[in-house]
Parts: sequence; structure tokens; C-alpha cells
Amino acid sequence: MRRAVWKLGGAAILAGVVASVSDARAAGEAKGGGVFPAASLAKLKSDDPAVVRAALDDARLAGVGASAAIPAIGALLKSGLSYPLAEAAIDTLAELEPRDNSPFVPYALHRVPKVRVAAIRALAKTPSGPGMATAASVLQAALRDPDVLVRGTAATGLGALKAIAAVPDLFLALDRHVYEAASSIGELCNPAECAMLTARIGSVPFDVITTGLEPMLFRPDAQVREDVKVAIVTKVRDVGTREANKFLANLQRRWSKTGSAAVKRALDAGVIATSSSPGGA
Amino acid sequence: MTRRGLAVVGLAALVACGGGGTGYGVFSTNWNDDDGKSIDEVEKKLAGVPIPLGADVAVGVAGHGSRLVGAPLAGGSRWSFAHAIDARPVVAGGVVVGSGGNEVFAVDALTGKLLWHLPTGGLALHGAGDDGTVSVVTMSRAAGRGSTLLAVAHDGMVLRQIDPSVSLGAPAVVNRIAFVPWDNQYVSALDVTDGAEVGRLLLREKTSHAWTSGGALYFGELGLFRFDAKIKNASRGGADHVALPAKALPGHPVLFQPGDRAVAASSGAADKVRLYARPTAPTEVLAIADGRFYATYFRLLYGLTVSPRAALSWVHTHADAIVGGAAAAGGFIACDEAGKVTTFDAGTGATLGGVIDLGEPVESCVVSADGLRATGAPHDALPLVEQIRVALADRDLELGAGQALLLRELGELPDEAGTAVLLGLATDPHLAATVREDVRAALATRRSGAPAMIAALGKHYDFLHDVLVPPPVAPLARALLAMNIPSAAPALARHLFDPADTDEDVRDVALALATLAGPSEVPDLLRFFALYRDAPEAPEAIPQAVGAVAEAIVRLGGAPGRAAIDAAIRQPATNATVRAKLTALLEAASVQRAAPSIKPSSTSRE
Repeated sequence: MRRAVWKLGGAAILAGVVASVSDARAAGEAKGGGVFPAASLAKLKSDDPAVVRAALDDARLAGVGASAAIPAIGALLKSGLSYPLAEAAIDTLAELEPRDNSPFVPYALHRVPKVRVAAIRALAKTPSGPGMATAASVLQAALRDPDVLVRGTAATGLGALKAIAAVPDLFLALDRHVYEAASSIGELCNPAECAMLTARIGSVPFDVITTGLEPMLFRPDAQVREDVKVAIVTKVRDVGTREANKFLANLQRRWSKTGSAAVKRALDAGVIATSSSPGGA
Repeated sequence: MTRRGLAVVGLAALVACGGGGTGYGVFSTNWNDDDGKSIDEVEKKLAGVPIPLGADVAVGVAGHGSRLVGAPLAGGSRWSFAHAIDARPVVAGGVVVGSGGNEVFAVDALTGKLLWHLPTGGLALHGAGDDGTVSVVTMSRAAGRGSTLLAVAHDGMVLRQIDPSVSLGAPAVVNRIAFVPWDNQYVSALDVTDGAEVGRLLLREKTSHAWTSGGALYFGELGLFRFDAKIKNASRGGADHVALPAKALPGHPVLFQPGDRAVAASSGAADKVRLYARPTAPTEVLAIADGRFYATYFRLLYGLTVSPRAALSWVHTHADAIVGGAAAAGGFIACDEAGKVTTFDAGTGATLGGVIDLGEPVESCVVSADGLRATGAPHDALPLVEQIRVALADRDLELGAGQALLLRELGELPDEAGTAVLLGLATDPHLAATVREDVRAALATRRSGAPAMIAALGKHYDFLHDVLVPPPVAPLARALLAMNIPSAAPALARHLFDPADTDEDVRDVALALATLAGPSEVPDLLRFFALYRDAPEAPEAIPQAVGAVAEAIVRLGGAPGRAAIDAAIRQPATNATVRAKLTALLEAASVQRAAPSIKPSSTSRE
């Protein structure tokens, strides 16, 4: 056992995070896996980075069927991996949809931006459960990151995590040109926040603001009131450009027959009002 | 005697024919050092003769070299004198001598009233002295080597013209004896009445200026020699002499430009980057008055101590470039491009009294402050740290080198306020990159202000809140390590994981933690070690950081730490530099464990 642990890296011993092979198998079986061969599992513990890389590829190809590899890959990450292997291990583990997202957390502050992006993307996939709060906290902090890709990925991920507490920070990010924040705000905003986003029509690029307006319009009326949605459509109509027309027409086509009739009327009127609008192709 | 208005070129009858006290021709290079005999006789002859104080006045060249504007410093109306100006005017005693329009002329320094003017054929003024009755003027010939010296009475009578083939410096006159430096090493004493060279002085230091100050006569260029009873020993290095202490100042300013050539009417860089100093009174041991000398760097004015070493005492940031000035008793008089004349206190740099206005911008300015004492109600008396902060906050790119000096000085100031100023600058997003590097260098040398440093480390890059300049982590780490502040370890450890920090920041944090970290930092150290032990060789700062962190782990991590190190050594992916460091660490630890304990010797004190 001691030797096996060494192969995974000394730091794992200290953190007490190395799961035994039997633990890994148990986890895999519990999730209904078993197609990930034991030989590949052993490869994950190799000293040779190329062999580990190959095992990660095997796991990724096996998909959720390689759930038996989850503890081993998690342990690999916690023990520390070189830059390209770390990114591959994060991506692989994320595809296996682990319940425990803690292996990703340290990598959200890694010095290599690509690794941070991978970690944040993985954390954004955290399933409902105790790990979500941690994931949301890490992603919210990542909005402050010096790297533009990291910030954008975090902004998108916060929407996926339904991190409503992060909306104020998402506004700060949007106002600093983290345009991915618009979509997440549209998915998460309360009435006051939705009004704040709507108020940015005209100040935020139209193709950006619509990524936030669209999810707002399709959210249930219980979350975003019908009159708010009508006001959004009216405000877009008032923009009066070809892009506004295309956006409204697209919504008009996709509007559910069971959706709000008032919004539908507003869309119809908006499309007509903007049909001869200038600009754009 | 020749009447006024005669062409200088036609004054052959008054050319000195030599003879007199030296026994050689005037400005003869065949002269042998007489061990100070002749100059000693001159000194004895003049010993009881009072030397009148010069006018206290600021004189500017204005109107694109078309007029002089002057203002008495001790009160009085400003004046203007229209005349073409082709060289820097000279304030000599109570007159201002100028040249231009093929003339040399003198006006009363306090009123601007014309005293005399003479045709020159285009010779350019480069020096003048005046004893209250006679002006002696040296001028450069249009081409080639050689100079012209004129002695002119205040009524315009030309007393003497000499046209030697040597280069004459800026002269002084005492009781009708002209003291004329030449060839950068001699000072000839000429009796302007008969043209005889009555004495000569050989100096062992470059000398091209003679001038009077505070009722005494001085020679020099690099330093100052006083004309007193010891002057006879000059050729043997025994004259009274003082020089400014060495100090690396921006732009390499000098006390005097060479006195054997004309200085342009308009000021240049050498006028804006200058040194100023004044000798002590002739009754005192020769030294620099007030223990201060002054340096300008465009709009910056530095007050510097003379002893025990040249150190910054104060700095003033001026509104306009200082193009002229003079050290006065108790302070400094500065004349700026806007034509404003300001007095500064020697000790604090506070402005004293009101500003004197020349009435218009000036192209150059000369100031004479002979009998003036700097007095007046002080304004803007700020502590040095605050003066430096003000100077560093100025965005004028021209001041860069001058600000670099201030940063170095700030780094050496012992009080904690200096650290606070540097920290504020280090995170100023508008600071020029070159200045920021100087700020970081200065911070690394600080040995006070640890609490402010730790507080600064608590700040991190924050895109959302526009904190876009991280704290100067590496310099702070180096300073805190040098000060041995273990309480800084938690703040330092957090910077191991700040992606906004540079690789060098992380390395220096790790190097500091190798010494400063305590048990509470072990989890962070292990995490960092795990993440980066197999970092690539480049950038090399990260493997170096891992090595330093490993050092702390060996010291603090106990058996688990040792296991982590062992495992990393065995891992093929571990960075080679890191592995070598780890191996060396374990070997050193092993040797330490194996070393026998040393018992106190029998002679040691219990």
C-alpha cells in the first residue's frame, strides 16, 4: 500500500486523499460502471506520464462507464500533476460527473490559465448537492481573475450552477466587458436585477444584451412577471434596428402557444414596428 | 585714456605690454611657479581693502533675446532694458554686463540704467567682474583660440584691452586689480591701471572662474579656493579650499560651466540641471554655507546636506523649470522659466515670503544674492516624506531621472511613512513602468514599516473592483525576510496561489517562507509543492519556488513532509531542478541528524 501511494505522489499521503483501489472499484460498481478495464485503472498509477495520459484517454472514451476511475483520477489531481496532464485529468474527471468536486478546487488558482479554465468548467458541472456552494464560491472568486477566458468561463458557469447570490458580481463583470455574464444574469435575476439588465439595453452591445434578455423572456412568469417581459420586448422594439427586428422575429417564431398572450402580442407588434428598421444585413 | 565709444579693435595703444610683479609678459606661458610669492604680495596689498557686496538681483533674458528684465530681490521696482542679447548676461558687483548687437554693455543691476556700451565687432561675453568703479569683461573671439579682456570704468572709459592667445575665464576685480583665470590652472592678477601682471597663482584643480561673494574673493570651477593669507600655498595644495561632497545626481549637474567660453543667451539643459552652493563668510573656516548645497533637475529642486555625507534634506516640486538661481545666506533663490523668483529655506525647503515677478517668461535667468539673507514667512513646510510623495506624484516624464533619485532616498529613510508612500506608488495604475520598477527596488530595501507591508500583501488583484495592479509582492517578500517578520507568513502564503502574481513574485514569496513560515503554513506549502513539483524548467522561478517551499516543508512538515519529499524524488515527472534541490535538502538534514552533539568545553562558562 505504501508503495502504491508513493506512485500517486507524496502530497496525497499528507492530504489523506488517496483512495484505495478497492474503494475505487466500489465507487465504480456503485455507479453501475465496470467497462473501464482494471488494466487501465492500474495505468493511472503509473510513474510514466505518457501511460497516465493514455489511461485518461481510455477513461474519457469510456465516459460514465469509467466511473470506477473517478477516485483514482481524483487522487491523481490531489497529489499534483504536471500542466498538460492536469488539464487532461480535470477534463476527464469532469466528464465522469463525479459527486466530489474537491479535486478541481486547487486548480482554479493554478498559474496556467488553461488549467484554471478547465477547473472552472469542471466545477460548473457540479451536480446538486453539498459541492455546489463550494463550486459557486470558487467561480464567483474567479470573476476577479486576471485572465479574460477564466472570467468568461466563470460567468457562464455561475449561470449553470444557478448561483443567484453571484448576480451582483455578475453585473460588475458585465460592466467590465465580461459579456458571458449577461446570459447568466438573464437566467438568475430577480425582478429588480432583471430590470437592471433591461436598463442596459443601449449601453451594452445588442448581441450581448440579448443573450441575457432571451433567457429572461423564456423563464416562467412566476420568476419574471408578464409585464416585465412585455416591457423588455417594448424596449427592444424601441431600439429600432435591423438587429432588434431579427431578435424579435426569432422570439416570435419560438414563442410557445401556451406562453403569455400579452408577450406574444408585444412580439408581434414589435416585429411589425421594426420590420423596416435600418442597419445590418 | 581712451574715450568711450571707440572700437575695441582699435585699442592697440592700450594693450598691455607686460612687465610687473611676475617678471614675465601678461598671460605668458613661460612663467615659472614662484611658490606663491607674487600672489602673496597682492594678497597682502589687498588684505585691508573691503570688497563691496554685489547687488541682490534676478535678471532674465526675455523677448527672444531682445531685452533684459530685472528685479531687485530686496525690494524695488523691476526694470527692463531693450538690447539685443547674444550671450548669457553676468551680474558683477552692482552691474549687469551683457553683449549683443555687436556691443558689450553694462547697466545698473538694481535699476537697469545703462552705464556704458562699447562696440565689439561681435565678440561674445563670457565673464565679467566689477569692483564698484571698474568692470572687467572677458569675451570670446569669433573663431579660434584666444580671448579679449576689457577693463572699463563706469563712465565708459576703456582703461585696458588685452587680446591674449590663451583662453581667459570669468574674471573678478578688487580695487582695480583684475583676477583672471586662464588655461584652467592659472589666475593672473592684473593692475588695470597700467596693465601689469602683478601676481600669478597656480592652482592644482581646474579653475576657470573668479568671483566675489560675501566680501571675499574666490576662484574655482570644480571646487572653491578662497583668496586669503593661505593662497600663496595654492600650488602646493595648501590654499583654503572646499568642494561639494560626491553625490550621484540626475543629469550629472555641475557647480559651474567652464568659464572660458560664452554661454548661450537662452537656457539649455545645463542651466536646468545645476548645482548651487555658497561659501561661508570670510571670517569663518572655509566651508559650504548653511551646510547645504542645492541641485536642480528641471522642476525639481533638491536641498542636500554637506556633511557627514551628501544626503537629501528636502525636495521642492516647482511649477516651472528652474533656469537660474543662487545660494543665499540661509536659503536658495530660484528663478524659473515663467519669470518667477522664489526663495526657499535652506533647512526645510519651505518657500519664504512672496514670489518676485520679472513680469514675463524668461529664456534664461541669472541671480545674484550676495548680501541677501533668505527670510520671510515660511509656506508649504512639509516633512521630507511628504515632499517626496508630492514630487513622485508628478506625471511629468521629464522628471523621471529626478524621481528615481527620490525613490532611492525614500528607500533609505528610516521612518515608516516612507514605506507607506512607496506602497501607495507601487499600486498606482498611472505610474510609469520605469518608475514602478524603481519603487519596487526601493521597497525591497526598506527595513521599517512591516505592518504596512503585511497589510499591503492582504490586497490581491481584483478585476471586479478595478484593483488591477497587484501589490509589489516580491519586494515586500524580500523586505519582510530581511526584517525577519514571521507574522507575515500567512499573508505571504496566500500569494503562492494568486495567479495575478508574477513568477518572480511567487519565487520570492517562497524564498521568504523558507525562513518565515510556521506550522500553520504547512498545508499551503504542501499544496503548492504538490501542484508545481513537476513544473517545467521555464520559467525557472517556479522550480526555484518549489525548492524554497520544500526547504520549509523539511523544516516544518515532520514525517509527512519528509514522505512528500521522498515521493517527489522518486517521481520521474518531478522537475530536475526541484529533484536536485530536494536531494540536497535531505542530505543536509541527514548530516544534521547524524552530527554528534557538542558538549561545552571545560573552559566554557556555565
